[in-house]
Amino acid sequence: MQRLCSPAFIGLAALAGVLIVLPLVVTSHFAIDICIRILLFAFIGVAWNLMGGYAKQLSLGHAAYFGLGAYTSTIMQIKFGISPWIGMLAGGVVAMLASLPIGAVCFRLRGPYFAIATIATAQVLMLLFLKFRDFAWGAEGTTIPNLGNTPLMMQFEAKAPYYYIALAMLALGLAITYRIERSWMGFYLVAIGEDEDAAEAVGVNAPQVKRNIYMISAFLTALAGTFYVQYIYFIDPNTAFNFNISVEAALVSIVGGIGTLWGPVIGTVLLEVTSALLQSWLGSGLGGVQLTVYSLILISVILWRPTGLLGVFTDAYKWIVRAPPAREAAIDG
Amino acid sequence: MLETVVQAVINGLLIGGIYALVSIGVTLIFGVVKIVNFAQGEFVMIGMYISYFLATYFGIDPLLSLAISMPVLFVIGVGLQHFLIRRVLGLGDMPQIFLTFALSLLLMNVALLLFTANYRTLHTSYSDLALHFAGLYVPVAKLVAFILAMVLSGILRVFLHSTDMGKAMRAAAQKPEVAMLMGINPDRVFCVATGVSLALAGAAGSLLMPFYPASPTAGQVFVLMAFVAVVLGTLGNIKGALIASLMMGIAESLGIQFVGADSGLIVVFAMLLLTLAFRPNGVAGGSAR
Repeated sequence: MQRLCSPAFIGLAALAGVLIVLPLVVTSHFAIDICIRILLFAFIGVAWNLMGGYAKQLSLGHAAYFGLGAYTSTIMQIKFGISPWIGMLAGGVVAMLASLPIGAVCFRLRGPYFAIATIATAQVLMLLFLKFRDFAWGAEGTTIPNLGNTPLMMQFEAKAPYYYIALAMLALGLAITYRIERSWMGFYLVAIGEDEDAAEAVGVNAPQVKRNIYMISAFLTALAGTFYVQYIYFIDPNTAFNFNISVEAALVSIVGGIGTLWGPVIGTVLLEVTSALLQSWLGSGLGGVQLTVYSLILISVILWRPTGLLGVFTDAYKWIVRAPPAREAAIDG
Repeated sequence: MLETVVQAVINGLLIGGIYALVSIGVTLIFGVVKIVNFAQGEFVMIGMYISYFLATYFGIDPLLSLAISMPVLFVIGVGLQHFLIRRVLGLGDMPQIFLTFALSLLLMNVALLLFTANYRTLHTSYSDLALHFAGLYVPVAKLVAFILAMVLSGILRVFLHSTDMGKAMRAAAQKPEVAMLMGINPDRVFCVATGVSLALAGAAGSLLMPFYPASPTAGQVFVLMAFVAVVLGTLGNIKGALIASLMMGIAESLGIQFVGADSGLIVVFAMLLLTLAFRPNGVAGGSAR
């Protein structure tokens, strides 16, 4: 009962309430589209953050799993008529299985070369899907047949259902992160992130822990892939395995706060709102503005606030709650 | 059949010379400063645009503008090291990877804003010339680029082995602490290393211009090739990077010839992943840190 009255819980409940009511109040297609993008990319960021944030395995190839999820459900739907709801789970399983050999190869490298190897895996998958056109439509891609309002096939006429699916996925991702953060696995991950050799020396089975978290991260990323192609009704290798997806997954986590529960969410809100504002000011005709601003934000965060912007908010909160903090800080420090 | 193979090998070898300039730059920064520069390809791109604009507005031949693009890139490199990279040294993987990664994104997109996504080609008097012998075909522009690339690599080797600065650089690469005790100023050495590395990227850009179109994303292929070559040739090893780059050029060219025009990169990436899977120690000497 005490937990239910804690300010954190009340805050969370209030946030959930607002998010659930939001699509009933906001009717603009543009605004709800941005909300869906925020929820989706926050979810991908959360999935990336499990491995990239806690264990500091900085992958730049999560588009591989996004794409595998997208293609699995689409192939199952178009070629076998299976509902994307099942395809979504199947895509997750495919991504999980794919993460095993990919991880086995990439985890031999550390730091920057791990990142490069993961880029290579996503690129190879993209090139394979471009090349083998009999298997999956090649470079032209395909549109996903519009069946009208069929919830069982994950197709809706209104935008609100998509919003709720994305919201549910994000809630799932956050719940999983919350559980892992407080489990032994969470401690192992942080230990590996701090110093992998030291973690192994005190008995952490680093290869196994990394393999497991990579599987979870890949599974979640694949769910996002299925959702995305169902949302835009189109798939081609360039959409599904787009390098920008890998980049954005890492970016939102780093800008928000790497290795924190809410970091990817804060980061996504910040970046997506910035990009929406830029688009409405400058129009979408000017290519390059969005990523220019993203990279400037990223450079500033790295140079001045490498722990992410979440820290700015928590510091501000602490400062408001227990001002004046000067004396305590002096004792602590 | 044999002729096709030889022709593919020649094509690959020639472009491999350009890959070598980029890879040597990457491996030099990695060896000395211990940073992987994700933005190396964008400096190739900048070199290309420098040569392109010098040629279009002042009529300077791209091979001559090498004398301008290299010093300009050297200065950019010193600035990059002094103002950006220096601030993340010793801070762990995340800031180090994502600083240069963000820089790569930034330069690419600023180039997109300034120069648009259009491909810009230069047509020089020797762009269409080619040597023909024994049924083989050797384009002059690529041959000249290859020879100059090899000359520059040779000069770098002389610089590293016979000048004080070069020796200081090698010392800092091997044992930074001991080098410091011997009175070597690491900041200065790091600045020169990054400067030289970027100058090589700029040279690659200028040499490419007579036969390769400039675009904001032009550097991407070269940096990916360089990463693979640097891993294959053992990290931080300049001779290894050179040989691996030539091999990669040949592998890519054979891939294009025998698997299909869009398969060059698949072959290269497959080479990287297979090497990592089966010979990680022979390649990276333990862990690639």
